[in-house]
Amino acid sequence: MVNLQDLKKEVQKILKEGKIKYFIGYEKREDEPFAKPSFIKKPEDVEKLTWNPTCVHNLARFLVFEKRRKASEKEPDERPVGIMVKGCDSRAINVLIQEKFINREDVYIIGVSCENTGVIDEKKLSKKLKNKQAQKIDFGEKDNFVVTTNDGKMKVPSKEILADNCLECKTNYPVVYDVFLGEKIERKPEDPFESIKKIESLSPKEKYNFWKEQIDKCIRCYACRSVCPMCYCDECVVDSIELSVTAETTADEKAKKIIWTEKSPVSSENFTYHLVRAIHMAGRCVDCGECERVCPVDIPIRLLNKKLEKEVVELFDYEAGFDSDRPPLLSSFKEKDPQEFIR
Amino acid sequence: MSDQFEPKIVAFLCKWCSSAGSDLAGVSRMKYPPNVVPITVMCSGSVSPLYILSAFKRGADGVLVSGCHPGDCHYIKGNYYARRRIALVKKILEFIGLEPQRLQMSWISAAEGSKYTETIKDFVQELKPLGPQTRLRRGK
Amino acid sequence: MDKILKKNSLSQWIKKLESYTIYAPVKKDQVWEYEIMESPDNIELDYPNTVLSPKKIIFPQREVFLEFNRSDENDLEIKEILPEEKPTIVFGVRPCDARALTITDKVFRSDIKDIYYSKKREQTTLVGLACNTPPSPHCFCTSVGGNPYSKEGLDILMTDLGDRYYIESITEKGYKLINSAKNLFTQPKTEDKKALEKNRTESKKKIQQQIKDIDKIPPKLNQMFDSPFWDEQSLGCIRCGICTYICPTCHCFDISDEITSTFPLQGKRIRTWDTCQFPSFTMHSSGHNPRPDRASRLRQRVFHKFQYFVERYQEYMCIGCGRCVDQCPVGINIIEILKKVRDYESKSLHAKTS
Repeated sequence: MVNLQDLKKEVQKILKEGKIKYFIGYEKREDEPFAKPSFIKKPEDVEKLTWNPTCVHNLARFLVFEKRRKASEKEPDERPVGIMVKGCDSRAINVLIQEKFINREDVYIIGVSCENTGVIDEKKLSKKLKNKQAQKIDFGEKDNFVVTTNDGKMKVPSKEILADNCLECKTNYPVVYDVFLGEKIERKPEDPFESIKKIESLSPKEKYNFWKEQIDKCIRCYACRSVCPMCYCDECVVDSIELSVTAETTADEKAKKIIWTEKSPVSSENFTYHLVRAIHMAGRCVDCGECERVCPVDIPIRLLNKKLEKEVVELFDYEAGFDSDRPPLLSSFKEKDPQEFIR
Repeated sequence: MSDQFEPKIVAFLCKWCSSAGSDLAGVSRMKYPPNVVPITVMCSGSVSPLYILSAFKRGADGVLVSGCHPGDCHYIKGNYYARRRIALVKKILEFIGLEPQRLQMSWISAAEGSKYTETIKDFVQELKPLGPQTRLRRGK
Repeated sequence: MDKILKKNSLSQWIKKLESYTIYAPVKKDQVWEYEIMESPDNIELDYPNTVLSPKKIIFPQREVFLEFNRSDENDLEIKEILPEEKPTIVFGVRPCDARALTITDKVFRSDIKDIYYSKKREQTTLVGLACNTPPSPHCFCTSVGGNPYSKEGLDILMTDLGDRYYIESITEKGYKLINSAKNLFTQPKTEDKKALEKNRTESKKKIQQQIKDIDKIPPKLNQMFDSPFWDEQSLGCIRCGICTYICPTCHCFDISDEITSTFPLQGKRIRTWDTCQFPSFTMHSSGHNPRPDRASRLRQRVFHKFQYFVERYQEYMCIGCGRCVDQCPVGINIIEILKKVRDYESKSLHAKTS
């Protein structure tokens, strides 16, 4: 069991000692029984911290903001940032370290094990409650959650509302940390690639019809890109005309600049955006599930990233975020890399 | 003459090997179908997935990426990176429903003019029954 | 003009309106959106709310203004694309979303008329559906000048009374729709009117979120432009842009050229939605951006809706639909922020000097 008091004590200690600048954790929302990101600067504020299966956010994203913020400071505070991570989030930090985006000394990691549960998928919960609002959720029992709505209490088997990526997860404990809270419980998940295999078994036309229907829903809000810790490029390739324009660029030059994707949310442009993002995530995606969670129109974005995760394991024996010393996937190669597809 | 579908192929050929190979085919007057739009790139490793997606978006029916044989890359390692990258691009395009025969990769050296013509001939034959590529094409 | 329509006559009424393009809320997986209705028999008006408001029908995400073509060195042909003739009806519009259109009207149809928006607005008939229960747990329409049965911006208002709808026709356009199927409607009886009154009182009570003394907020904001308040509130923001993209009153747009062919030069000039939360918004061509961080973006969103617009039009640029609160991935809640602004006490408060 992860003891919330242990977490609070540890964070209070490092804040009092001045070991970290501030701490990134979770606190409960004012109006709902769900968590939201919390930024603790003063030791007395640790009482706000919470830890339960509603702590779904991947806080590693805020390390990207911290780096940008620090870069604009004249006399930067060199102390690390404290952060609290689950298994998948810790792998995200490993990828950022592997790519030399941040240094290991820039973060003080309190790793928390998910043990036998994971995080709740709010959409699944909403469907289960038939759109009634959850007022309180009790996580006490191991396999069941007790949800209170204004109709009374309801027992919900955890398997029915846990996020898909949690049900398929095998890193339910952090792989990089300074402090480890909870127990390291090995778990055999369901086949992580079952949903991928289902789609792979369809004919090309069926596959296309499935994806076209999903991709047509896209409104190009770019929330999936904004929430991903690995999408840290200052200028994204789909917005690729901003940074390269200066005061001296002529109108003619601006007109001739290569635009990889148009702004219009039409099928071909949406496909280009999602496919390029999936390819850029190959060997880097840790399946935290955030991209799919934040999508306002429910596109199954995880499936695209998961497909390449499967290929990367099968073709190159590579998994993202376990070893920050290993060279990144697409910056390395083996003599014996598969090439039967090459004439 | 029947109004048969003629596929358009965009070929990214690396300057030092494959593009030279295609020039050899030309100079030797080897016959091969005129369906190819050749684009010379410095190295197969410089072919970004965006080039391939752009080609399909603009209406290419097939895309070929061709480079030096492993071990012979002018920049030593470029084709090894390309091998990994194009493998993944192929897999994801197949996953969203693009017919797998539409994206192909080959190793063609500067001396292999005939391999170039054979590759193109076979590619055109494979694409003809598939018809025009409409799935990633930019609509109105 | 008031009428009663039995629920099982609804699809018959819609069948009489074949000459129009009809939009209705449609459920795809777990998400409701306005789509062109496929079959009048499947219309379902018992729904929470859509992700995108009916604004997308009148102010679409992509609109073509003109097409250009240059086949010769000197001959540039420009073809203006005018909005097409397409009488439209939207069913099931929530009263707040209709109020949102009266707000965007102030921007697009005042002394300068946007012909694309105006044409669509004129040829669209909005059939509203009063909210018996708040569609979202974050609805706060009553705090910003609306209510669950408001008629502002609507052509017809329907109230669900169980087995029948109470129909109120508000404009000529609405009257025309009812007239096309006169015999399906009956006159309301006293018990219908009583049920309507009861429904109104009940539905107003059910709105859980209230912002008391909201009038204190615009002048308070005036003093808070440089406050560190915005840095604290925006710490969790990930700049995804969902809040402004799905907002029914947000209306920023970008104009760009889509080139379909470079030789001969062919392309289209289009307008697409834009949001103040995207990184390139307010970016100067020198690369400088006067709103470089998340704090200034959040501040801009709150100020635009609750200070600048109020100063200019004496109305809030927010209808209280709660979509931004529902969808924000990190729990940034504009209701909480407004309450904090209202109650904010600090030595750093001072009036804006500009």
